[in-house]
Amino acid sequence: MQVSVSMGSPDTVAVPPSTHETAKTAVLLPSDLLPAETPTVQGFDWNAAISSPEGVTLHGLLGSYLTTGFQATNLGLAIKEIERMRAWRLNDVPVATDEDEDLIDPGVRAQIKCKIFLAYTSNLISSGLRETLRFLVEHKMVDVVVTTAGGVEEDLIKCLAATRLGDFTMAGAELRKRGINRIGNLLVPNQNYCLFEDWLTPILHAMATEQTADGQRWTPSRLIERLGREIDHPDSICYWAAKHGIPVFCPALTDGSLGDMLYFFSYKQPEFAIDMVADIRRLNDEAVHAKATGMIILGGGLVKHHTCNANLMRNGADFAVFVNTGQEFDGSDSGARPDEAVSWGKVRADARPIKVYGDATLVFPLLVAQTFAKDEVLTARKGMGNGVGTGGNGVGECKRSRIE
Amino acid sequence: MAEEAAATIEDYDFSGTTAGASDVFPSEAGQIKKGGYIMIKGRPCKVVNVSTSKTGKHGHAKANFTAVDIFNGKKVEDVVPTTHTTYVPNVNRSEYQLLDIEDGFVSLLQEDGGTRDDLKLPDYPEGFDQEILKAYQDGKSLSLSVLSACGIDQIIAYKEEA
Repeated sequence: MQVSVSMGSPDTVAVPPSTHETAKTAVLLPSDLLPAETPTVQGFDWNAAISSPEGVTLHGLLGSYLTTGFQATNLGLAIKEIERMRAWRLNDVPVATDEDEDLIDPGVRAQIKCKIFLAYTSNLISSGLRETLRFLVEHKMVDVVVTTAGGVEEDLIKCLAATRLGDFTMAGAELRKRGINRIGNLLVPNQNYCLFEDWLTPILHAMATEQTADGQRWTPSRLIERLGREIDHPDSICYWAAKHGIPVFCPALTDGSLGDMLYFFSYKQPEFAIDMVADIRRLNDEAVHAKATGMIILGGGLVKHHTCNANLMRNGADFAVFVNTGQEFDGSDSGARPDEAVSWGKVRADARPIKVYGDATLVFPLLVAQTFAKDEVLTARKGMGNGVGTGGNGVGECKRSRIE
Repeated sequence: MAEEAAATIEDYDFSGTTAGASDVFPSEAGQIKKGGYIMIKGRPCKVVNVSTSKTGKHGHAKANFTAVDIFNGKKVEDVVPTTHTTYVPNVNRSEYQLLDIEDGFVSLLQEDGGTRDDLKLPDYPEGFDQEILKAYQDGKSLSLSVLSACGIDQIIAYKEEA
């Protein structure tokens, strides 16, 4: 009896492959050889660390992240990106054909650094990450800050009264009765906001007087600078930002307790005005006039877009690190990957931006530990509280704007 | 009083009442209800609506007043923390029989039998003065309601006597 054949030329008798053979070919398909220099996945060697003189160290552990895979690798790449951002100097690039006269000298070029934009959402200021962010601003390790209203007021309120630890599962109705507000697993009693109102209202009255009498034009960044001076407390980000002339941008200043205060204040002083246009000018000019820029963006929403958009004005940032929990499947800007920003010209096409998927409270202290906190100038001069660090984008220290 | 009545309402400054005057009395803002009176921007007003927001992210509990100026009908708004002291005008309403109208001034019969001639015909609402004048000229016997607060007296209504 002839078995019907299915394939092959009429000359050969092809035998249908057995199931075993089919499976074997599928599974054991020979692979292309990866280039020899492709890194190997290799996690942290605990045994080696424990038996070493220093034992297990943070730096040792973080050093292993790059080859651990998944978000650990992304963290390792983010560390590298921040290192590049901090190490950049104008003399890394050739002198432009239309370069300014005073930017030709190599000695001068060696002083000019990348301008770093730090952006963060307000929940991070409610959290203990505020201490890490303050550290960066205190030591002038960033040049521009972008945040939302809560990012300003929660920082100031913490100088008046503390935020407390709670739990995600605390019942809303019960908390409302007790006059306690919940932010994730953090708690802010109403009393804290009452203290803020009592502190802020006289300052607003003074500012309104200055507007009418001295012609002072208030913008969100100038208002925040003023509040930073008024709070006069070394725990506060706004305090150090005002001290070092680091502008804090917050176009949606009304979207928070500050906005509530301004609303009530408008009944007393309807002519008090805050100019948003002057601030978009100031922020975008910061990007346009920089020789190189880097963005460190924690969270999504306004802070992410506003910072990227400013960098669009200079055809894209040279360096970028995003840390957020957003996903791109809904088309949101919050969840968009750096590559989407490249399509807009918000990040340069030849840049190596990186996104770390994760909660910034977990991720960012580790990033700072491996980069900013290892700053040689900082660690060499231990004990000096006068804000040594990198900063400024001109020759030596540049004078920042005071209240104009 | 005659020269004061001739001045316009805007000439008055209510913000500084002397200790002896009982034009206004202090009250906790949270105690002032709809239908009550309140001083807003130095003007005596009647409260049309109050809404309160409890203590929260915006700070202390606040009362949001919508009120109407009792003399010129203008709608005004104010927001005051409920525990703050604000001022309530002492508002009085009296009825007087109309005796005469001359040069826009009315002559009223007081309780003690004397006359009072210092009040002008009201300039609010529009045309109200003409209405009173016509009723008087038609020979009707009128009694006028006069509202008093913060040193201002103003005719706000009239009634025909049988």
